[in-house]
Amino acid sequence: TCSLPFKTLGGVENMKCGGFMSVLTDLVSNPAYCGFRDRKEWADLEPVPQDDGPNPVVKIAYSDKFTDVFDYFRALLKKDEKSERALALTTEAIELNAANYTVWHYRRVLLQALQKDLREEMRYITAIIEDQPKNYQVWHHRRMVVEWLNDPSEELDFIAEILSQDNKNYHAWQHRQWVIQEYKLWDGELDYVEELLEEDVRNNSAWNQRHFVVSHTSGYSDPSVLEQEVQYTLKQIKKAPHNESAWNYLKGILQDRGLSSHPGLLEQVLELKETHCSPYLIAFLVDLYEDMLESMDGGQGQEEPLSKALVLCELLARETDTIRKEYWRYVARSLQTRFGSGDPSVPTVETEPQTTPASD
Amino acid sequence: MADEDGSFVDFEQIDFLRDRHVKFFQRCLQVLPERYSSLETSRLTIVFFALSGLDVLDALDVVNKPSLTEWIYSLQVLPTDDQSNLGRCGFRGSSHIGVPYSTKGPGCPHPFDSAHVAMTYTGLASLIILGDDLSRVNKQACLAGLKALQLEDGSFYAVPEGSENDMRFVYCAACICYMLNDWTGMDVKKAIDYIRRSMSYDNGIGQGAGLESHGGSTFCAIAALCLMGKLEEVFPKRELDRIRRWCIMRQQNGFHGRPNKPVDTCYSFWVGATLELLDVFRYTNFEKNRNYILSTQDRLVGGFAKWPDSHPDPLHAYFGICGLSLIGESNLRRVHPALNISDRALEHMQQLHRTMETLPCC
Repeated sequence: TCSLPFKTLGGVENMKCGGFMSVLTDLVSNPAYCGFRDRKEWADLEPVPQDDGPNPVVKIAYSDKFTDVFDYFRALLKKDEKSERALALTTEAIELNAANYTVWHYRRVLLQALQKDLREEMRYITAIIEDQPKNYQVWHHRRMVVEWLNDPSEELDFIAEILSQDNKNYHAWQHRQWVIQEYKLWDGELDYVEELLEEDVRNNSAWNQRHFVVSHTSGYSDPSVLEQEVQYTLKQIKKAPHNESAWNYLKGILQDRGLSSHPGLLEQVLELKETHCSPYLIAFLVDLYEDMLESMDGGQGQEEPLSKALVLCELLARETDTIRKEYWRYVARSLQTRFGSGDPSVPTVETEPQTTPASD
Repeated sequence: MADEDGSFVDFEQIDFLRDRHVKFFQRCLQVLPERYSSLETSRLTIVFFALSGLDVLDALDVVNKPSLTEWIYSLQVLPTDDQSNLGRCGFRGSSHIGVPYSTKGPGCPHPFDSAHVAMTYTGLASLIILGDDLSRVNKQACLAGLKALQLEDGSFYAVPEGSENDMRFVYCAACICYMLNDWTGMDVKKAIDYIRRSMSYDNGIGQGAGLESHGGSTFCAIAALCLMGKLEEVFPKRELDRIRRWCIMRQQNGFHGRPNKPVDTCYSFWVGATLELLDVFRYTNFEKNRNYILSTQDRLVGGFAKWPDSHPDPLHAYFGICGLSLIGESNLRRVHPALNISDRALEHMQQLHRTMETLPCC
C-alpha cells in the first residue's frame, strides 16, 4: 500500500511548461512514486490495459507512469464515471498527451455533469494553448467553453497574444475568424490587421484577414471602398515590391469585375514596372491583358494586347520567373490559341515531356 | 557531374537511398519511443504511411500481411447486437479506448467507443494496399458512421462526439465513399458547396470559407472533387486556370503551402498532386523540386523531414517519396494523385469493385 498522500496535478500553476516539467520529473525519478494502482482511493477501480492483440503494430513504448494514468483513464471511461477524481485524472492524462481527443471529450462531459467553474476552465485552457498552440484539440476545447459561457470577451486579446509568438498560426486565425463572425466583433479588426501588416507586410494570413473583414463589413461593391483598398495595396507594393501576398490581394479584389475595367490601373502598373518590378507585377499585367482580350470578345484590336501578353510571358519564362518557364510558355500557347488569328506562320511549340534528372 | 548552370553537384548528396527508407518504415511498424505518444490516437495513419510508403518503394514483401490485416480489422467499430451504435461505426485509430481485442462482430458496447473519419479512410486504404478483399468490412455500417459526421454546411466532423470540421475530413469522406464505391455515405451536393465556398480571393482553397488558402486544403478539395468525378462541373475553365496559377506559384525550389512561408517536403505532394490533377504538373521544375526533397532525406536513419537537417518522421518520409514518385523517380511505383495509393493498389481496388458489381446483393 502507498503511504504518500494522493496528489492532484490539477492546478493551473502546474500547467506552465516549467512547473509541469519539474513536477513530472520529480515524480518519475522518485523511487517512491505512487501509481494509481497503489493508491487506496482508487482501489475500487480495475485498470484497463490497451489490447493490441498478438501482433501489435506501431506500438508506443510507454513508461510505467504513462501506462498507469491511461489504464485508469480507460477504466473510468468504461464505467462512464462522473466524479472529481475522474476530472483530476483527465488533467493528468492531458499533461501526458494533449492530443488524445477522447480525454478532452470525457473532460467536457465531466465539466458539465459536475457543474464545474468554466471561468477556471478558461484559465486552464489558456495555459495549455500557450504551451501547445498547434494542437487541434485544445483550440476545439476552448471554442466549446467559450460557447458554453457565451462569452468571447477574452478571445481577441488571447489570440493576439498567441499570434504575437507565431503570426501565421492557422489554428489561431481560424479561432479568431470564428469568434469575430459568431459574436459580431468586427470593430477594430481592420486596425489590428493594419498593425500586423505594418510589422510584416508579407504576412499572408494578415492579408487574408483583411479580405475577411472588408468583405463582411463594407464589402467591395462600394467604389470608394474598392479604390481605397486598391490604393492601400499599391502603397504596400511600393514599400515591398517582391510580395506575392499584396499582388494576390490586388488581383483578388479586382478580378471578378475584370482587371481591365478598373480605370487607370493599367497605367499605374506600367509605371510601377519601371521602378518596382517583380514576377508578380508582370503576371498581373498578363492577366490584365487577358481580361482585355476577353472583354473584346473577338472584336477588333486583339493583336496588340495579345502580343503584349505574349511578350510578357516570354519575359517571365526567360528572365523574371524562370522556375516556371514551362508554365509561362503554356500560358502563352493558350493565349495564342484562344485569341490568336490562327496565323500558320506562327509556330506553336509543344514541349517535350520532362525526364527526371539524375535518374537511371 | 555538372548541372545546368555549370556548377558541380556532389552526386552522393542527391541519390535516393531506397533501402534506408525501407528500413525506416519497417521500424515505424514496430516500436516507437514514448515521445511519439501524441500519435496514439492516430496510429492507424502511421501504419498507412508505412504500408503505402513500402508499396511505392515496391517493398511490401518485408511486411507480415496477415498479422497486419488482423490488427487493422481489430480497429473496426462494428454494430452492437441492437445496432444502436451505427452512427459510430467505421475504424478507430488505435486501441486507446480499451475495448477488448476482436477482429469480428458483433461490436462490444462501450459508452465512448466510436470511429474517426481519418482512421476509416486510412484503415480501408491500408487493407486495400495489403491486398485484402474488404469482405470483413461492414460497409453499410461504415457509411452510416460517415453520414453521421456531415454537417449542414457540407463539411465533416472527425468523430460523432464532435470535433473541429474542415476540408481534411471532406477529403477523408470522399476517399471512403470512393473505396467503398458508394456515395450514399454523404450529401455530395452539400460537400461540393462547402468546397466552392472555401475558395479564397487569391484562388487557392482554405480549410473553410474565409480561411487562408493553403496547399493542404487545396489538395483535399481538388482531390475530393476528382474522386467524386465533379471537378469540371464545379469549376469552369476560368476558375481552374486561376487555381492552377495559385498552385504553380507555390514552387520556390521545393514547394510551400502558403505565400511567403518556408518550403516543406510534404507540399511536394500536396501541391504537386493537385497540379497533376489539374494537368499542369509537367510545367513545374522537376529538378529543383527533386533536389529539395532529397536535401531533406536523412541519410543515416532513412525517411525525410520537412526541412534539411531536421528529424525525419513517417508523414514526411511518405510524402517525400510520393513527391518523388510524381516526378517519375525511377524504381518508385506511381501514386494515384487523388486517392494517394499506388497504381498497383488502385488496380486491386478496381478489381474488387468489378467483383462486387457482379454480385446480386449489396
